[in-house]
Amino acid sequence: MKLIRHIPLLVFLCLGTGLYAVEAPEAILPEKHFEFLNAYCLKCHDSVEEEGGVNLEDLSFNLDSIETAELWQKALNVMNSGEMPPEDEDQPEAEPKTDFLADLSEQLVLARKILSDSGGVIAMRRLNRREYENTIEDLLGVTINAAELPKDASTGSFDTVGASLFFSSDQFEQYLKIARRALTVALAAPETAEPQRYRQQSEDAINKMVQNRYAKLLDGKTRGEQWKVSGKSPTEFGFIDEARVKFEAGLFERDGVGYEHYLTLPENNTGAVFFATWNGAMTDSITLPKSAPPGEYIIRARVGGFESAPLHRRFLEIGTVESGARPGELAILDYRKISGSYDQPQIVEFPITVTPSSSRKIGVRERQHNNRDAARSILRKARDRDVPLEDPALWIDWLEWEGPINVQKRTAFQNRIFGNDPVEPGNDKYVRKTIQRFSRQAFRAQESSPSFLDKLVSLYRDRREAGDSFRDALIEPLAVVLASPAFLYLKEPQPGDQQRELNDLELAVRLSYFLWSRPPDAELYKVARNGHLKTPAELKRQTDRMLEDPKAWEFMSGFTSQWLHMDRLDFFQFNYEWYPEFDDSAKSAARNEIYHTVRTLLNENLSIGNLLKSDFVVINDLLADYYGIEGVDGHQFRKVKVPKGLPRGGLLGTAAVLAMGSDGERSSPVERGAWVMRKLLHNPPPPAPANVPQLSRLADEMLPARELQVAHMEEPQCAQCHRNIDPIGYGLENFDAAGKWRSLERIVSNHKKVEDAWAPIDPSGSLPNKTTFRDYYELRDQVAEYEGDFARGLTEALIEYGLGRPYGFTDYDLAEEIIQQTESENFTARSFVHALVQSKPFKQK
Amino acid sequence: MNGSKFSPLFPKQTRRAFLRSSSALIALPFMESFGAKRFEYAAPLKGATPPTRMVFLGFGWGVTKESWYPDLNTTGSHYELPRGLRGLQRHKDDITIIQNLTNQFSNEAHWGSTFYLTGANRYAEPGQSFYNSISVDQVAAETLGKETRFTSIQLGCDNAEGSGHGPGLSMSWNRQGKPIAGLDTPVAAYHRLFSDSNTPLEEQQAMLRQKRSVLDTVLENAKTMNHGLSKIDNDKLDEYFQSIREIEVRLSKEEKWLDVPKVQPTDPLEEPQGDIEGFEEVKLMYDIMVAAMQVDATRVISYRQPVDTFIRSLGATITGHNMSHYTNGSRLSVSEMRDEKQTQLFAYLIDKLKATQESDGSSLFDNISLSYGSNIESIHYLKNCPTIITGGGAGVKHGRHLVMEDPKTPLCNLWLSLLQGSGIQADSHGDSNGVIEELFV
Repeated sequence: MKLIRHIPLLVFLCLGTGLYAVEAPEAILPEKHFEFLNAYCLKCHDSVEEEGGVNLEDLSFNLDSIETAELWQKALNVMNSGEMPPEDEDQPEAEPKTDFLADLSEQLVLARKILSDSGGVIAMRRLNRREYENTIEDLLGVTINAAELPKDASTGSFDTVGASLFFSSDQFEQYLKIARRALTVALAAPETAEPQRYRQQSEDAINKMVQNRYAKLLDGKTRGEQWKVSGKSPTEFGFIDEARVKFEAGLFERDGVGYEHYLTLPENNTGAVFFATWNGAMTDSITLPKSAPPGEYIIRARVGGFESAPLHRRFLEIGTVESGARPGELAILDYRKISGSYDQPQIVEFPITVTPSSSRKIGVRERQHNNRDAARSILRKARDRDVPLEDPALWIDWLEWEGPINVQKRTAFQNRIFGNDPVEPGNDKYVRKTIQRFSRQAFRAQESSPSFLDKLVSLYRDRREAGDSFRDALIEPLAVVLASPAFLYLKEPQPGDQQRELNDLELAVRLSYFLWSRPPDAELYKVARNGHLKTPAELKRQTDRMLEDPKAWEFMSGFTSQWLHMDRLDFFQFNYEWYPEFDDSAKSAARNEIYHTVRTLLNENLSIGNLLKSDFVVINDLLADYYGIEGVDGHQFRKVKVPKGLPRGGLLGTAAVLAMGSDGERSSPVERGAWVMRKLLHNPPPPAPANVPQLSRLADEMLPARELQVAHMEEPQCAQCHRNIDPIGYGLENFDAAGKWRSLERIVSNHKKVEDAWAPIDPSGSLPNKTTFRDYYELRDQVAEYEGDFARGLTEALIEYGLGRPYGFTDYDLAEEIIQQTESENFTARSFVHALVQSKPFKQK
Repeated sequence: MNGSKFSPLFPKQTRRAFLRSSSALIALPFMESFGAKRFEYAAPLKGATPPTRMVFLGFGWGVTKESWYPDLNTTGSHYELPRGLRGLQRHKDDITIIQNLTNQFSNEAHWGSTFYLTGANRYAEPGQSFYNSISVDQVAAETLGKETRFTSIQLGCDNAEGSGHGPGLSMSWNRQGKPIAGLDTPVAAYHRLFSDSNTPLEEQQAMLRQKRSVLDTVLENAKTMNHGLSKIDNDKLDEYFQSIREIEVRLSKEEKWLDVPKVQPTDPLEEPQGDIEGFEEVKLMYDIMVAAMQVDATRVISYRQPVDTFIRSLGATITGHNMSHYTNGSRLSVSEMRDEKQTQLFAYLIDKLKATQESDGSSLFDNISLSYGSNIESIHYLKNCPTIITGGGAGVKHGRHLVMEDPKTPLCNLWLSLLQGSGIQADSHGDSNGVIEELFV
């Protein structure tokens, strides 16, 4: 603390100069619109009439208070909804109305931003779900599932923004519950972590099930046939009535025929082939017994593929079988391409983590849409061709689990808290020391007050008196530490009103939660303790080291997914009949492609311009098949040169971004265009207004997406934004809803009797500045010119994520500084991170 | 404690015997059959005035405008229920449909529940991009919730955003405008309301003591955190303090109720198993709600209903969001089917309320104020919030279709009216500017 005392003055001076550098932003409606108001509004809403209490004549054009903004918002709302001007009054021409609405909505967005500006304050933040999960893992060596906690704020900002991270009493109780469970595992005696291995022959598990079901079905069918020729009552053959006979015959037809076929296949004597049945995808599963503690495991399977099956089916998916899931449905964890054959099977390995709350039933199956209905549709199609079951793609010999492996983390935890002391107790002094060590780690090197420790020790004592063993009695006090504010909040004290420089330790914590979403490691603590972290060179060295550490994946995925709004990828289920290849595994690969691309840019320190256009993609075997790129073997993502003539390279050509711009059935030029404006051009359109009349004039007609959008231009309320948005989206119309290249658009009929139609695609369009392009390639080239704007958008997002406050006008100077710095380094990926980390705001509270 | 005083009243065997004998729907014979004296937390005695209840149902995505709202020109009792509401025909005299209610600040077309019961302006707080205020159910709970085991109950569903509810953890927001978590599955709701712990009383008391020590310990930590924090950080930490205080209040209540077993409903509910989704889920939640009120476990409930899984359980393959943007074709038919099925369930709930007798011979329906609606009108319109109220609890004169003269009548006027009608002291709620007199005359 001593060191800091003289610093605030310095900071204040710097801030002071900063204030002069930038004009305070203002949201002002251009004066020219007074004419518009005068012509269409003031007749009733002037200072004399004030109809409905609304006086637009005196309403300031400067939107500088919540009240003024609110009144303008109301004016915008009634014009958007078409309420005003009233029907029987003069109506404005489309063009001036469009311009007025466009300016007003833009200025309102600006006003909201100004009025909600943080003023440079960083609110203390609670660990979000990701950080909580990672922090517990770091501390205890036990992986938990934080999805049990209430969802973090979803009001449009990043999950690191402290002001939006609420705390509720239910949450407190969840924290305690999760911590108790995790500590039970972490504190268990070492012998419980002895690895075990168990193998299950697939024919044993599956064939028995199939045989039983088949026998039952056959019996029903046989009795039915006997009854038919007997002339007796159905009850004598075990049927309640005649309808039941028919029903059982139908069941045999539906399921029995397939099982019969299954049992004749020689492959099933030594293993099992995977099929789609009426009861969902056939799944081979294995259950971890209670004696296997939560931890890391390896699931192995010996599998071969049939060359006759299409490529996308020759993948094995693994997942947990959740309670309540329908047959064949898995919570997918991973997938592997199967290159082995039935004659020469291969062994595939899946490392998985079992948490204290996760399902212990693990299933594998052929890759497909994770949906029983999808399996039924596969079966139905086979039957349409008079085939009992669709030809198989995969065969499995056996399935096994082994683990727990890598228990060192757990052992390390026990070593850390027990130190060199004997693990068994223990007087109170010993227990106190143990608890103190633990809370120091949990509180990120902060010491606890003696009275807090006293209370923790007495919690321990109470449990002992209640009969708990030494280890069990420790669970409660340690769980309480993990539900305490010093653990849950990243504390940066700020006595007085002035901003101050962080100390080394605080900076270390901020840095590691920024890049790792978890606490500092030993080295970072050491550097901070020695007081070296704040020197620019050391800070840079540490930042580089941390970016190169696998833990930086949290930043690459956590930041990127929120920056690019990738949650949209989960908004829609994809139609399994139209996009059979775009299943959960493909979605996961598509998502990971984006993160791995960002990772590649950071690792190789390439320009972020590569996200706009590049000659490489970062993909794995699944995506290579999906994109039609040859020679990519293996599950891991790697940089691959884009073959000539393929439209990939840059975010616009990724399956994830394209799929996000669809509703799972049709591509959406609007969503795609708006995303490009928001994320690539840094020119976000105002949010879709409420109460705008929906255009349904063309909705019932079978028109290409492009022609449907034309209706947007007919109403000023829509045209004000859509004239910019839609024409960008047209340039991506050569990609279907799941991001595959197409030259014809499928137009689905709403009527059973009308066939779907196919329309040629017109991919020409324009950017908001009216530059036109002829097709996707030209669009991509033009977007690539916007590198500077793209950099600004990235910078703003990075500031918000890294500082944990909504990007506001206060941060304008900082953004400017970062952009100047990064531009001089050709917008290399790392330069953004370094520029932010080295900036003053990052180092101050 | 007074544990020993009452616990002999509920020996296990007797309770089981009681359960077995009570499979039919009968008036609460619970306390009487044991000859118990009335004590302060028990269900009221026969003949006593039954308590007032308030229930708020929110259904997220808006309705099919064309077939849900009655004709604006047919107000009063002479109106026809349109197709989407026809399932309510048998209750037509007992419901009120109100048009032209709106939350003036609502601007988010996908947030059907965030401000539905609060009427707040998300931009009201300078320097913040999100603000909310207390929801009407929580105002009600402060008065109605004093005597019951649960001050209020929040029910919800998984993936609320996909169902058009917007941010929040349930429909309810506390005094500080912070979200209150909900019970999102019938299983969770059932266990909270009806499952007793098998732990012996002394052990439960010891557990309560331990919980108190835990709170005491974290507060000790929070106090040391307190030093040197800025104003904003202090406000954040205050959320923590506030939560701990809430738990303390809950624990005191829990302690009072510790020796009182959870009352089982006379119409026995089966323990829900596994994942029940959509239509069946809503139905089960309604059963649970009625049971909870019948045994007077709580008097205030909010329920944020599923839409996404609801339509899927009806066979639809599109998302709730897709449905809400209906145009002619399959989206429209899904939207219409959703309205009809939701109405069917709502009518079922009213049936149950009417069939559930109170100790004085009246029905649960007579003593409840129930509202049903969303902040979203239809598609992305937020103007005329779909609103139906029912039940005798607030003294509303039912059987009418009311169209407010002012097309922007604050929805909060309705909430205020229901509060006052239910005997709760309140001068305003949210952006209310008065009560809706027409409801009561």
